[in-house]
Amino acid sequence: MIGPLLERAARRTQAADLTFKSDETLTLGFDGGRLKSAGRLQERGVNLRVVAGGRMGFAGTTDTEPEPLLEMALASAAVGEEVKIELPRPQPLPQVVTHYPRAAVATLEELAQLGQGIHDRLVRDGCHVRVSVERSVGSVRVANTAGVDAGYDVSSVSLGAELVRIRGDDVLTIREYWAGGDLPGVADVEWLVGGILQRLKWAERTAEALHGALTVCFTPTGAEALLLPLHAALQGKALLHGVSPLMVRGRAITFASSFSLTDDPLLDGRPGSRPIDDEGVVSRRTPLVQQGNVQEFIYDLESAGRAGTQPTGHGRRTIFGKPQAAFSNLVVTPGEYSLPNLLGLISSGVLVDRLHGVGQGNLVSGTFAHAIATAYRVENGEVVGRIASGTVAGNAYELLGRITTMGRDAPWRGSTSVPAMLVEGVTVS
Amino acid sequence: MHNRLADAITSSRADYTEIRLERSWLTAVAYRGSRLEGANSSLDLGGFVRCMSRGYGWGAVSFNGLDHLDAMVARAHELSLAVRLDQPIRLAELPARRDDVRAELDGDVRGISLAEKQQLLERLNQEMLAVDRRIVDTQAAYRDEVTEYWFANSDGTMLYELRPDVTLSAVALARDEGIIERGLESIGVRGGWHSVQECDQLFRTAARRAIQLLTAPRVRSGTYPVVLDPRLAAILVHEAIGHMSEADMIADNAEARAMMTLGRRFGSELLTVGDDGSAAGLRGSLPYDDEGTPTQNTLLIQNGVLVGRLHSRETAARMDERPTGNARAVSFRHAPIVRLTNTYIANGRGSLDDLLKGIRFGIYCCDALGGRSHLENFSFTSGYGHMIRDGKLAELVKPVVLAGNLFETLAKVDSVAGDFRWNQLGGGCGKGGQVPLPVAEGAPHIRLSEVAVGGGH
Repeated sequence: MIGPLLERAARRTQAADLTFKSDETLTLGFDGGRLKSAGRLQERGVNLRVVAGGRMGFAGTTDTEPEPLLEMALASAAVGEEVKIELPRPQPLPQVVTHYPRAAVATLEELAQLGQGIHDRLVRDGCHVRVSVERSVGSVRVANTAGVDAGYDVSSVSLGAELVRIRGDDVLTIREYWAGGDLPGVADVEWLVGGILQRLKWAERTAEALHGALTVCFTPTGAEALLLPLHAALQGKALLHGVSPLMVRGRAITFASSFSLTDDPLLDGRPGSRPIDDEGVVSRRTPLVQQGNVQEFIYDLESAGRAGTQPTGHGRRTIFGKPQAAFSNLVVTPGEYSLPNLLGLISSGVLVDRLHGVGQGNLVSGTFAHAIATAYRVENGEVVGRIASGTVAGNAYELLGRITTMGRDAPWRGSTSVPAMLVEGVTVS
Repeated sequence: MHNRLADAITSSRADYTEIRLERSWLTAVAYRGSRLEGANSSLDLGGFVRCMSRGYGWGAVSFNGLDHLDAMVARAHELSLAVRLDQPIRLAELPARRDDVRAELDGDVRGISLAEKQQLLERLNQEMLAVDRRIVDTQAAYRDEVTEYWFANSDGTMLYELRPDVTLSAVALARDEGIIERGLESIGVRGGWHSVQECDQLFRTAARRAIQLLTAPRVRSGTYPVVLDPRLAAILVHEAIGHMSEADMIADNAEARAMMTLGRRFGSELLTVGDDGSAAGLRGSLPYDDEGTPTQNTLLIQNGVLVGRLHSRETAARMDERPTGNARAVSFRHAPIVRLTNTYIANGRGSLDDLLKGIRFGIYCCDALGGRSHLENFSFTSGYGHMIRDGKLAELVKPVVLAGNLFETLAKVDSVAGDFRWNQLGGGCGKGGQVPLPVAEGAPHIRLSEVAVGGGH
């Protein structure tokens, strides 16, 4: 189906490319003590882009008959903007493992056992536990009229766990999430369960809120408030539109020298790993920030064409819509301090684990004021209790400049690996 | 199609079987700055089968295409057998129905060319760019969808629906030196081409607001008396009360059930709240939910007392209550779960001015950039606000974050005005990975005697 579609497109357009994705996902849900539901999602579809009359058009379908797709893409091109994109040519693919046969063939019973095991370790009096296990097996094929025709298989496994403790009208929710290409190892499950139980223990007592400009230790989930704005700002497109706050009067702002961020699609078995992007650009590592200095922005074919630069291999396509630039795996370079050692540096401060509303509001400006979802008060290096309410506010880019110490342990949560980090002078009210 | 559905249901060996099929035509046009991001159409086609047998749990399969229904039914049944349960799942009784509901398309979008849709959005986007030279970036989007929908189950229900949806959204970014501000507006309707022909004002408003916010001061974080505009009050009721009223959050959780006991005091006695999927012409309106239950107006809070909650057939049976028509799935890729439709705070008395009177120093919070809740904790961000000084609206201020404990906050509602209106926004609601689900919310102005407000610095 793919070959003939591209051939027909080639006859009627100047250039065309497409991605074909198919996968089958098995989802198991555990609730209130046992396996509650089993679901299978089979999905496949084609996303086609054409350049006709110098204009770009695209279309997508999940129909088994992709017959109308070319006409739909041509209609899109007829009203599309003129654009100069250069389709990549075939290149050898780099080595990266994206498919694990062991995960792909795992039976429902094996996966159910995994979920039940996690559930049983979390369950306790006064707490409601939900666990989900998801296994997906699929393939991606990318082809274009410049000769690229590449494909690879993908497997992925994810675990989600949620523990809710209700005492009267006080509700504490703790969630954790793991994802990888292979089945989780003992250490991965240990990390998931241990992280939830550690937080539950910290939340056993409540503590008086602290106010002022404080030393804050952000856990990897707490640090999302600092990192999400940066991710948005590192889009080449944001630079192109003059809205990236990383450039002020033509100069890039800098962060703490302990802060380095890399996009790495070539790590084996991570959710964002791939040998080639969805637009046929071969994958490579992209240093985004090195020792506090911004190095590169990410581009898909179109934004690179507009900016007059090279695409960085970040084209991501869904079945519907047009390709967008998106990160693969994001890695913040860890430091040398374990979490207890990081906390040991705090005489009086806050451990921020989760904030409400991250990702809402004026993201790219970096300015935020988030209500605390879960945070703990730290006195003389020890967690003394959970802080029930409060707000953490500031500017993400300024705070990334005030990181004093980087944590050692950078667990993988989905496609990101981020350590805890200590930041000075964070406004907590 | 009815025959194919009936045959597949008959072929099932499970005690209960349901099938949903959907065929959607979608169009999307997007502008960024003065440039067309793209204009394109898509076809989405697929189905969902769910089976259950006595002693076993749910088995579900979703798939693309509309063929091989018998095989999909067999797979769902096989999956359900992997889920053994001691406590059998029961479904609330429901009379079988046969119905054919074609919503008014108000100008079928499938008959309008892509070029016309692109021209409409180009004009609206230009409205934003023309407002001020400091509008450095815009995002304008047009989206339409028509879905043919079939539902059948082994109780004998067989439904066909034609569901339209059109949305327009405007984002304007204003920049002055290092300051960047956004203005947002959107509209979403269960309608068609004619429903979105007079939206120029909407786009101008987004751009003007972004410009005004450039010079607006930040609010000092603290506790204030607050008046919420109908849009924000409606988001509060959706996020806080609405989601807590979804019975799947509480059915299996003894502590949560205790917290949500019917008859308990739930906010000030000025407060009456409901969810009405049967209201005419709103984005969350539907004749039936995705289990074939007719939608209805369900009262959740009456004069500050908890009186009801929202159910699927399964949660209703578990709690010995009636299904309310709130089992919804965002598409054939998902199982139906308990969701909101059109959630509202009922009208009170008086005007905005009446609410402002008596506040010496407070904040008028308008519009919502987003919100989120988990059980009793909520947080949401206003789009903009005004200071209230000596009972009158004063200077514009930047967006604020409102957060707190639901029960404490609702107890502080001390006035509800009589100027109710429904929101007709684009976007949608998210839960359990299912997003965006079309919903609507409605409210009058409401006043809270004090709320924790995060302002930024």
